[in-house]
Amino acid sequence: MKHFAKLAAAAVVASVTAGAAMAEGLYTPNLSYRTGPFAATGIPLMNGQADYMNMLNARDGGIGGVMIDFDECETGYSTEKGVECYEKTKGKAIVTQPWSTGITLQVLPKTNVDEIPILAPGYGFSPMMDGKTFQWAFNAPSGYWDGADMIIQYLESQGDLAGKKIAFLHLDHPYGKEPIPVLEALAAAKGFEFTPIPVGLKEMQNQSAQWLQIRRMRPDNVIMWGWGAMNAGAITEAVKTKYPMENFIGVWWAGHDADLKIVGEDGKGYKSISWSFPNPDAPVMADIQKHVVEAGNTQSNPEEMSGVFYSRGIVISAILAEGIAVAQEHFGTAEINASQLRWGLENINMTEERIAELGLDGMVPPFATSCSNHTGNSGGWMLEWDGSKFVKASDLLTPNTDAYAALVAEKAGEYATSNAPWPVNEECEG
Amino acid sequence: MLNEIFIKPFVDMVEAPDFLLQVLWEGLVSGILYALIALGFVLIFRSSRIFNFAQGIMVVFAALTLVGLYAMGVPAWICVLLTLGVMFVLAVAIERVVLRPLVGQPDIILFMATIGITLFLIGFGEIIFGGENKVMISEELGIPTGDTVLEPWGGLLILQHLDITVVVVATLLVLALLAFLNYTQMGRAIRALGDDHQAALSVGISLQTVWVLVWFIAGIIALVTGIAWGARAGVSFALEVIAYKALPVLMLGGLESITGAIIGGLMIGMLEKLFEIYWGQPLLGGNTETWFAFVLALVVLLFRPQGLFGEKIIERV
Repeated sequence: MKHFAKLAAAAVVASVTAGAAMAEGLYTPNLSYRTGPFAATGIPLMNGQADYMNMLNARDGGIGGVMIDFDECETGYSTEKGVECYEKTKGKAIVTQPWSTGITLQVLPKTNVDEIPILAPGYGFSPMMDGKTFQWAFNAPSGYWDGADMIIQYLESQGDLAGKKIAFLHLDHPYGKEPIPVLEALAAAKGFEFTPIPVGLKEMQNQSAQWLQIRRMRPDNVIMWGWGAMNAGAITEAVKTKYPMENFIGVWWAGHDADLKIVGEDGKGYKSISWSFPNPDAPVMADIQKHVVEAGNTQSNPEEMSGVFYSRGIVISAILAEGIAVAQEHFGTAEINASQLRWGLENINMTEERIAELGLDGMVPPFATSCSNHTGNSGGWMLEWDGSKFVKASDLLTPNTDAYAALVAEKAGEYATSNAPWPVNEECEG
Repeated sequence: MLNEIFIKPFVDMVEAPDFLLQVLWEGLVSGILYALIALGFVLIFRSSRIFNFAQGIMVVFAALTLVGLYAMGVPAWICVLLTLGVMFVLAVAIERVVLRPLVGQPDIILFMATIGITLFLIGFGEIIFGGENKVMISEELGIPTGDTVLEPWGGLLILQHLDITVVVVATLLVLALLAFLNYTQMGRAIRALGDDHQAALSVGISLQTVWVLVWFIAGIIALVTGIAWGARAGVSFALEVIAYKALPVLMLGGLESITGAIIGGLMIGMLEKLFEIYWGQPLLGGNTETWFAFVLALVVLLFRPQGLFGEKIIERV
């Protein structure tokens, strides 16, 4: 009931603040998923996003003096509901945050027509990096192909990969299949054997067949592109089949504290590449505590606020806020529109100094977007589960984008051709 | 290709019998849980002709209630009793509020009502307990952890103590249910309603009491299933999809047959694992468990539309 009371209080506060903001504000809808099979991973992310925006509203009166109208439309991670939410919110939106690769792929052509930027930090269609082709889509600070490359780089730093076996355990969903082209190319280039192992949505919590296959093939490493309940299911099965945890690496969406807490000490050594990291001492955390938590305007709980996913939610909102601020400064107006925000998002320059200025010290690596590069390729850290929390296990890794630049161009070209007539930004250089 | 389909899988089985045993064991564990969930569906269908779409969310709701109560500081075993109490109250509420007003309505209306119950429980569960992943209180309930490693034929067979417990508890529950249905007055009343609704009512069997009872039994099954699956991968709303694995079991075994649910569950659990490991992964890229059971059930339905153990319906016009 405590949870109910908290939710009710948050709903009242949210409705009051939303009502105030609805009058005039920067409408930044979030196609959230706090319900359904993926809610466990969605909730801390959504809470981090909302808390950061609420903090800006309370501390600074929004961005550039204009309140942020941060709205959520619940999709339950369903592609159909996601498209409905997009249609429902697009009217006055200056951005859309689709929150699933499936939804992103569905709304991608629509945003080109509606001229609304998609912000999909660390997810979506990897060739969105090509800003000339995907004028309205952004996946900064890092894309899935960056993640795949960084994981292989990390494994290579542990020893030559030639002749090794790498299993790729992935959700049988557009998201899970996304890095396969790059991993196949890297397998060919570096001489390792690459075996994709799909996990169906109904098998997320019962992966015994997949782990029997892993036991039979005895891979040197398992890379996981898991989401929601699949992550906890895989980690539990890995423990059960006695697969060495130190050889098991997940993408950033497979590095959720709550999933690892289920196995606790048994999960020690499990790794996850990540472009964000929680820093409880960062000034932004103190500001959120003061302006949002103490004001009773949050749905977050203290335990989740120290986790990787909550802090990633903060970083995601900070990227959007930075895009808005850059656009406001460039166009000399606080009330920017979607087109102006698009310019802002492709001119983000998150230097170490700017990150510190925003109070995000150590929470995100530096990156910069441009007209032709909508990903930014920030790189990331290899995180490791120490039995109770994630710790950094590497220095900053940066992706070798040259390795798949041709693939980005090829897939972007294929997309444009198959969706012809597809407008390309010819003014974009570099 | 013919070699890959007809020869190699069997050679693999003979060459690595320990691995085959492991596959069969994993299939048995899954199968017994499928059978348990299918039993929940069958009991309700037999007594009321309702296909209970809410069985999956009842698994989630029961597991969430258990861990939610424990988080409030209630001792683990008291939580189990209280959760059973909650499932009983839920059964009474469903009978009073949803089913009783719909008596005599077409089956599809009652089916739609169970979809309504599902949606209500999703929302209600999320409001009360939140959607975060929670850790099942396995240790507190005394569920053994760790494993026993055997070396048959010099190979390796890992038996998780959790899985052994699941198999034992689920088997006992199934046997207890069978005994209840066959040897108690109330059990016979449930079967009588399944056999002939009108005749059962005419001899004084209370429809309301039986409905509350079968929904409560479905609640007990949901709790056991929720503990078993929750101990494997945490308690979240994703558990709901587990119940859909019981659908092909019902198609295969027959919607009305308790024996069919048990045998169908075990068959699907083991056959889907064997197919996935020896044919699906090498030949089809894996993830055949998603569809294998449905295809198997469809093949059976081609020859026996009532399922393996379902009753043949003869209608005269």
